[in-house]
Parts: sequence; structure tokens; C-alpha cells
Amino acid sequence: MAKDMEKLYQERLKRYVTAMRNEKPDMIPIRPFVAEFTAKYAGYTCQEVTHDYEKAFTAARKCAADFDWDAVVSNMVYVWTGLTEAIGLKYYGVPGIGIPPTTGFQYIEPPEEKAFMKPDEYDQLIEDPTGFLFNVWLPRVSPDVSAMGEPTSFRNNLSFLKGGMAMLTYFNAFGKQNELLRTESGTVSAISGILKAPFDIIADKLRGYLGLVTDVYERPDKVLAACEALMPHLTHIAIGGADPDKNVPIGHWMHRGCVPFFSKDHFNKFYWPTLKPIIEEIWAHGHQVLFYAEGSWDAHLASFAELPDRSIVYHVDQGDIFKVHKALGEKFCISGGIPNWLLATGTPAEVRDYCKKVIDGVAGDGGYIMDASAIVQDDAKVENIKAMTEFTREYGAY
Amino acid sequence: MKKQQTTKRPPGICIPWQEKLKELPKISGDKELVKKVWEDIDALGYMYIWQCLLSF
Repeated sequence: MAKDMEKLYQERLKRYVTAMRNEKPDMIPIRPFVAEFTAKYAGYTCQEVTHDYEKAFTAARKCAADFDWDAVVSNMVYVWTGLTEAIGLKYYGVPGIGIPPTTGFQYIEPPEEKAFMKPDEYDQLIEDPTGFLFNVWLPRVSPDVSAMGEPTSFRNNLSFLKGGMAMLTYFNAFGKQNELLRTESGTVSAISGILKAPFDIIADKLRGYLGLVTDVYERPDKVLAACEALMPHLTHIAIGGADPDKNVPIGHWMHRGCVPFFSKDHFNKFYWPTLKPIIEEIWAHGHQVLFYAEGSWDAHLASFAELPDRSIVYHVDQGDIFKVHKALGEKFCISGGIPNWLLATGTPAEVRDYCKKVIDGVAGDGGYIMDASAIVQDDAKVENIKAMTEFTREYGAY
Repeated sequence: MKKQQTTKRPPGICIPWQEKLKELPKISGDKELVKKVWEDIDALGYMYIWQCLLSF
């Protein structure tokens, strides 16, 4: 039995990797990024899978065992709020604490005047990003952590002790989870490692979106210098978490650096010149990057086409997947494109029809991976996820 | 296109070995062992803060 499962794993790994290299596998791989959907399917609340990662792992494995999927993220409900509460991070809405236990966790961006980094602090960030995060940023995002010059406290000391131990416990648990996915259901762990663009992370966690909008007009040189200062660190973290076997890609979560959040000129001035070298360096180390293009990045496809062939896998959320295929399909594998609204409100027949349209349009020469557009939450109907899976298996053989 | 720059506190490091070395008494044993273990554990501190920023 175990031997059969390993054979299935190897078949799926080959299928998944072949597609990601923009080649034609035996059939279209299926790699749904299912998050809170796993809780719904396994009978857990959002609170349970967010706050107890063992339940999240169990739910992910149950889905992997019951659906014929080639690869999954071993825990797509990635933010373990047990950990964030131990550190004291205040920017989460935690299911069961402040928001209903049946609602997925939320990221709460502070108002512009309470941004975690002030507009006159760019030089500190540029001079020493790691020191800035420890000394300035962390005390602002965690009320438990004492700011520099303030008296230390029991809560401060515990934040680092509990936070550090919890983080290691969590990260180490992924090794066992990936092994169980492999041995119990022959399923591949879909990604390894994390990357965010320098410009995106400044908006997400430092200046906030509104703060960064102001900064690109009032202090553009500082913004660019800060992006440049973050580049080597983000590269280091990405490569440090990458798959040592160089099979699965590093996940790159793309947020608000695109039109219409910023202009195309801003993308060309800040976002792209400080992301492209990171991708090139990661590729030079032999790792692909999954561009998880949340929202629509269709205005920037020509820039992405500058990257080396096969260096990325491009995931389509609200972009036009047929336009993306035309612009990038000869260079990169494409994934996604099945609308989440359809999975939530449509019928299985409508899902099958949409999958056919996407497969006919973009998967003819290989280089396509079936997935929903965005991360699948608990609004998706089980019968629609089954329809997406079964139709792709029936129709997706080459 | 911007090239990757070097920074004051390089990636992967919170307290550089050379800075720590100045605080230590004379190392009579295997200096490389002390250095390696220092750097390996120091890297966990680096991982902690950057994972807080990126992942959590």
C-alpha cells in the first residue's frame, strides 16, 4: 500500500513539475489553494483551523485524501493565530476573538496616522532594516513588546520567548505534515518559502497603503531607497525557505503594487525595478517563483515577460486568463482562472463549462495548472469543487 | 535596473560574529565551532523578525 502511495506521489510530482516548467505532462495537474474550504469540508469552524494548527493540518489532509488533487498547500490557513497572539500582534482579527468563530481571520490595516512606520523614519529603515524591525516596528505591532528606552517587562520577555518557541514548533510541524500528505494520500506539498515584493511589504506592514500613496509623491527617493534596502533580505528569506530539491516554487504573494492601486509609472519606478532582480537571483539559484497575482495585474504583463523563460509560474486571479496566456504562455506556466464567485454561487454544470472554456483556451500545449482564481474560502460549494476536480480529470488528459 | 546592495547588517545576521568575538575571552578551543554555532543560532533571531513581517 505504502509503495502504491509513493508511486502515486511520484506520478503527481512529475505531472506538477512538468507543467510548471511549461511543458506538457500526462494530464493537467490540479493544485487548488484551499484555505477555509478545508475547515468546512472537515467539519471545523474557522476559529478551530486558525487557532489550532493541528486541526488545520488534519483538514488539509482530509481534503487531500478525498479529492484527486496533485498538490496542495499543507496549510493554506497559514496564519496560526495561536502564534500571533503569543507574540501579541495586534493587526489580526482573530476568529472567535472579536470576530465570529465562523469568519476567516482578517488583517486590519491601521489608519494612516497610526501606521506602523512614520513618514520620517525611512532613513532608519534604509540604514538597518533588521534593526528597525526589532527596535521600532515590533514594539508598535505588539503591545507586549517594549520600545527602545522603555523599561522592559514580564510581558515583553514572554513575547520573545513564547513567540520564538511557538514559531519553531509551527515550522517544524510542517515537515511532518508534508510527510503525512505524501504517505497518506500521495499528495505533493505545492510551494515552499515565501516572497513579497519590497514595495508591497512597505504598504502591507510598514507605511500602510494610504501612507505609501502619499510617499510616492512626497518622498519618492526615500521609497525607492527603502525598497532597495529590503531587496537582499527578502531574497535571503525566500531562498532560505525554498525547496532544496528545487521542484516546487517559492510562493510570491502579490498585493497592491499594481494598477489601479498605483499608476503604471509607479509600478515601473518602484515595484518592478526592485522585484525583478530578486526573481532573477532566485532563478539563478535554481528556484521557480509562483506569482500569485491577487486581483488583476494585467496592466503589467509586458514587464513580467522580461523574466527568464520558466523562472515563474503565473497564477491568474481576476485577470483575463486568455490575455495572460497570449502574453506569457510561451514563457511561463499559468494556473488558476476559475472564478471564486462561480465556485460559491454557480452549479456544477456551470463550473464544468467554465473549466472547459479555460482548458480549451490556455491548456492545449501543457503549461497549465487547474485552480480557482483566488484562495478558496468556506463559501465554495463542495459539489462545485468536486465538479472542478472531476471535469479536469475527465477532460484534462493529453 | 537596480542591483542588490549590501547593507550594514547583512541578511541572515542579527549580531555579527566579529562583534560577538570582541566580547568573548580568548577562545582556547575550536574557534570555528564557536563561530558556526553562534551564527546558526543568530540566524534564528533573524528568521523570527523577518517571518513576523512577511508571514504573520
